[in-house]
Amino acid sequence: MKRLILCLAILISAAAAAQVPSVTVEDSKGESFNTKELLKEGTPMIISFWSTSCKPCIRELDAVYDALPDWLEEADFRVVAVSTDDSRLLAKAKSFAEGRGWGEEYTLLFDKNQDFMRAMNVSVVPHVFVVDANGKIVYSHTSYVPGNELELFEAIKKSQKKKK
Amino acid sequence: MKKTVITTIAAMAFSCVMTMAQEKGYVSASLESTNHFYVEDEANNFIPANQPQLGEDGIYASNNYLKVDYYNGRFSAGTQIEGYFPYLVGYPTNLKKMTLSNLYVNWRDDSYSVTVGSFYDQFGSGLLFRSWEDRTLGLNNAIVGARATYNFKDYVAVKVLWGIPRLGTGNDNGEFFGFGLTKVNVAGADLSISLSDIFSMNAVSLALEGSVLNKHEAISDDYLVERGYSPNILGWSGRVNFGYDGFFAKGEYVDAGKQMVNPFNPPADGNAQLIELGYNGRGLGVTMTGRRMKHMTQRLTTYSMLGTDNPVNNILSYRPAMSTQYTYMLTTLNPYSPEVGDKINKSGEIGGQIDAFYNFRRGTKIGGKRGMKIHANFATYYSLKGADDTPSELLFRDFSVDIEKQWTKKFKSTLLYSMQNYNKRHENNGVYIGLSHIVVADLLYKFTPKFSTRMELQYLASKDDQKDWMAGLIEVNFAPHWSVFVSDMYNHGDSKVHYYNGGVSFAMNHLRVAAGYGRYRAGFICSGGVCREIPAYTGANLTLTASF
Repeated sequence: MKRLILCLAILISAAAAAQVPSVTVEDSKGESFNTKELLKEGTPMIISFWSTSCKPCIRELDAVYDALPDWLEEADFRVVAVSTDDSRLLAKAKSFAEGRGWGEEYTLLFDKNQDFMRAMNVSVVPHVFVVDANGKIVYSHTSYVPGNELELFEAIKKSQKKKK
Repeated sequence: MKKTVITTIAAMAFSCVMTMAQEKGYVSASLESTNHFYVEDEANNFIPANQPQLGEDGIYASNNYLKVDYYNGRFSAGTQIEGYFPYLVGYPTNLKKMTLSNLYVNWRDDSYSVTVGSFYDQFGSGLLFRSWEDRTLGLNNAIVGARATYNFKDYVAVKVLWGIPRLGTGNDNGEFFGFGLTKVNVAGADLSISLSDIFSMNAVSLALEGSVLNKHEAISDDYLVERGYSPNILGWSGRVNFGYDGFFAKGEYVDAGKQMVNPFNPPADGNAQLIELGYNGRGLGVTMTGRRMKHMTQRLTTYSMLGTDNPVNNILSYRPAMSTQYTYMLTTLNPYSPEVGDKINKSGEIGGQIDAFYNFRRGTKIGGKRGMKIHANFATYYSLKGADDTPSELLFRDFSVDIEKQWTKKFKSTLLYSMQNYNKRHENNGVYIGLSHIVVADLLYKFTPKFSTRMELQYLASKDDQKDWMAGLIEVNFAPHWSVFVSDMYNHGDSKVHYYNGGVSFAMNHLRVAAGYGRYRAGFICSGGVCREIPAYTGANLTLTASF
């Protein structure tokens, strides 16, 4: 037990800013996708964990979807929507995203055994992250109420200013 | 055996981590704590003293999870600690005290990965094998052992694993280093071949997949051996995935091997078939699913828990209800729990569902200025004929349709209708098949971009069970931090009991705190299509989630 606590203490003291870990998930075609690939484009991104039975998650992604045309005029970034639905609802999640038009605007990923969710230490959805162009997590938020989406855009703009 | 495994993992984890911590890495962690304070409530038939885990005068229960991961390039390591002081009312009784539930080290290269320690995995849809964590269910059947994966380009993916699955927190003493390990071990392999990549078929995606899994559990009772039970249960599955221009088709056949249905009878052959067909494109999403399951008992431990109540977390495969998971209060009163076929007179189920989503785009005649979304679902399931000639009958059928419309920048409405047909006779030896009609209006109004209110109005009409219900909810949100709600669910058709609830939540960056008070009805809590039965309870709750 003492060893374990010592180990955790060393880890935390050696910590740098959290990043996006490398995990295999599925893309909308059902093919394997390594989450490290997300960093290749070198733009900031919003990573939002959602599921078909999570109403606030859907509200948040809809609000971002509605605001996106205006936001993209001011900043260059992407939105990644990660479904945490199990294999039971995997096919439904894909149809659901298509039926909301998300596929046209978002990078859709499907994390059917919650590997990416665990790796990012997400315990409940909605959980959203803003990642800067270098892959560092600069903002995260659990839960959603209307208006929270404005904070995401602020974080995106801030991360771009830092870059300059 | 157990000790050797744990010592090896701990030593490896510690030495690797010590070396890597010198270099630049990062730590990610999360904490979740749910606390209940129970109150005696005659109207809800709830007395805390009747809950054995709370003790004579106990009113407090708490489930806690701390998870810490360390990442450094291709290396990662992590741990999870779970604490139950004691477990919340309705949770599996095998969750005791505090335990180190997970500990792992992982190395991941471009084409291969190796994990030693705890891991989660699933083959195909999970019907043959799935290890996962679902805190809502009190389930964490992580495998403690080793796993290796290898990918040859996009052509072939291979996975092999061996380990001991965990169940609850182990024995009654709740040993911290016990891991909750069982006397079972599993060995399995999974292979996926992408024919479309090998033969450069650009427009089409076609993959063949297969898995094999052996579960070993020693048998100490001679009579089980005499009846044909074996310590090894070997299962396999074959799968095909096809996709072309938005269309997709998936098929899976699972042979789960010799399953125990009743210890006094010989083992039965467990098998399942799953088909998914659909189309996604041009704002339309349609998915059709068909599934048949026969004797898919698939318990994590088969022989060592004979004669005891089978807890919900004693599973090592995923056999969820393939129907809509409703979220509104009155739509979840009678959720569907699938018939996996674990009894002589209940040998399985057959059925299917169809889901359709459509987005009427902005600027179209029906969509109007801001678009409109519509979704419909139909599902129907029948039991298979039992081994004792019990006839097949309807288990569950539902139809639902919901329409979402953003009227103005400030006002949005969602309307839902659901018809549910559920079989109480089959579920718990009741006497009837119930029918209910439910309507829900969910209205959101934004006064300012950061100040909004949401209201739910619900009504359930039924001639069965507890007859008619009504429910309402009002939520007021002050972004970015605060949200307050009150709700009530009232059974005016029969019991005249109010199930009231109210709460407040505060969220800021990595932290969320929620507090509330309410009366909860006995029934089922379902997560991911798996349900656990919960008793009625009344009390206050305090939930904290944080991630760093």
